[in-house]
Amino acid sequence: MPKILLEAQDIHVNYGAIQALAGFSLKLMENEIVSVIGANGAGKSTFMNALMGMVKVSKGDIFLDGYPLSSKNYKVVRSGLALVPEGRRVFAPLTVEENLRIGAFTRKETADLQEDYDWVFSLFPILKERLNQYAGTLSGGEQQMLAIARALMARPRVLLLDEPSLGLAPIIIREIFRELKRVNEQGVSILLVEQNARQALLLSHRAYVLQTGRLLKEGLSKDLLEDKDIKAAYLGQSA
Amino acid sequence: MAFTFSTFIQQVINGLSLGSVYALIAVGYSLVYSILLFSNFAHGGFLVVGGYACYYLLTQWGYGVSVSMFGALIASGITAVITERLAYKPIRERTSLTLYLLIASMGVNIIIENLFVVTVGGRIRALPQNTFPTGVFSLWGGVTLSASDILSLVTAVIFLGLLQVFLNRTRWGLAIRAAACDIRTAGLMGVNVTFLISLVFFVAGVLAAVGGIFLSVRYSLYPQLGSITTKAFIAAVIGGLGSLPGAVVGSLILGLAEMLTAGFISSQMRDLVVYSLLVIMLLIRPAGFFGKEISEKI
Repeated sequence: MPKILLEAQDIHVNYGAIQALAGFSLKLMENEIVSVIGANGAGKSTFMNALMGMVKVSKGDIFLDGYPLSSKNYKVVRSGLALVPEGRRVFAPLTVEENLRIGAFTRKETADLQEDYDWVFSLFPILKERLNQYAGTLSGGEQQMLAIARALMARPRVLLLDEPSLGLAPIIIREIFRELKRVNEQGVSILLVEQNARQALLLSHRAYVLQTGRLLKEGLSKDLLEDKDIKAAYLGQSA
Repeated sequence: MAFTFSTFIQQVINGLSLGSVYALIAVGYSLVYSILLFSNFAHGGFLVVGGYACYYLLTQWGYGVSVSMFGALIASGITAVITERLAYKPIRERTSLTLYLLIASMGVNIIIENLFVVTVGGRIRALPQNTFPTGVFSLWGGVTLSASDILSLVTAVIFLGLLQVFLNRTRWGLAIRAAACDIRTAGLMGVNVTFLISLVFFVAGVLAAVGGIFLSVRYSLYPQLGSITTKAFIAAVIGGLGSLPGAVVGSLILGLAEMLTAGFISSQMRDLVVYSLLVIMLLIRPAGFFGKEISEKI
């Protein structure tokens, strides 16, 4: 029986009078890849931000290893969650190397980061070539790779990705998703939110479908890929 | 007034000395602006706290110069941190509009100024004569270089150098640079943003106190001394708000412009030239020499 790593129960988030999440629950097992798919405005990013302590949860609980997760952003990172934010958000005026170093901010000051650099360079070799370049000069795909590598420098137990495929060419998306699979095989659990439902379902083991802040459907990704309604609504195929 | 080479050199020396004091103050302004994107007008208040702390440590409690200066830097730094916690943090947590922070900072400045007026009085004070070396060196052609000019230049270079090392060589320095680019994402890296902002205010307060002490040596000490930071603010705008090299360059330009105007035109024209520089800069290059383009900021 696989162990539950991260569990969100009945999460509610309000922006003023608008209810962005109305009781969404999710489980992430150890070594699992879970995706959350849904249309624009379904509450996917809000859910990620709620987990990270970036928005206030008005009701609901979040547990990591069965213990309540802090609602303070920096403490969440320290307990082992790292988010690759929507739109990459690399630090443009800093070099690639500095971006990676700030990613390791929560690590012990004395920690030897060489192994981590080697790890992220093995995933995305282009970053090693760009090491002393300003992050703002990288292409979109390279920036996404940097954003992922930066999050991995924190040695997270759960890697969260918010729309990693946004605005990228299909060939780059495939490359990035292939490397995410390798990251997962090395023991990092992954929680992914995507509008690109096909890519997300192909990568993940299980998936949740979110619609206007509520769960519409959940199941094994391979089943959802064959699901009539999902095909029609999210995969751009007629039933 | 006739143009003479020795007058020119003299005024350049005076200008650099004044500019270096402006730089200490302007860099603090810019540092806060780079993180929170508002002009902290309470910065003048921090400077006054530093000046008075140094004065009282020296004259009332009889500490030596170095202890008094150190105490003044700490007092000003702590004032800056408390100001942020009491006046700015509650606003930051409620709105992302920086205009409210700007207004609050003006209020804090008025409070600090008047706290000194009601407690120690508005009269003008001077730091004791023997506080700093007072020697004057004669160079050629009547040009003089005072020990306090050298001291303010050297001190400014040391403090700005230390700041540079802090920002470029330390973990928290890197975090501050990242936060200046995108504070939310810096939080995602596990940086305690609340602590980071306090740290930035502390550093800004310390730099303001150094400026305050040199200003009270150069001029004198009174509760409204902080209003001179308007000049440092202009220097920061000319250099490009949020840019530290910009703040230094802007300060030196302003110091030189003021002193050359005083030397060759008239002392009364100093402020006219300073404000004209500001207007011209805002017309030609609103983002300043080193500022980010406005479109990037939005």
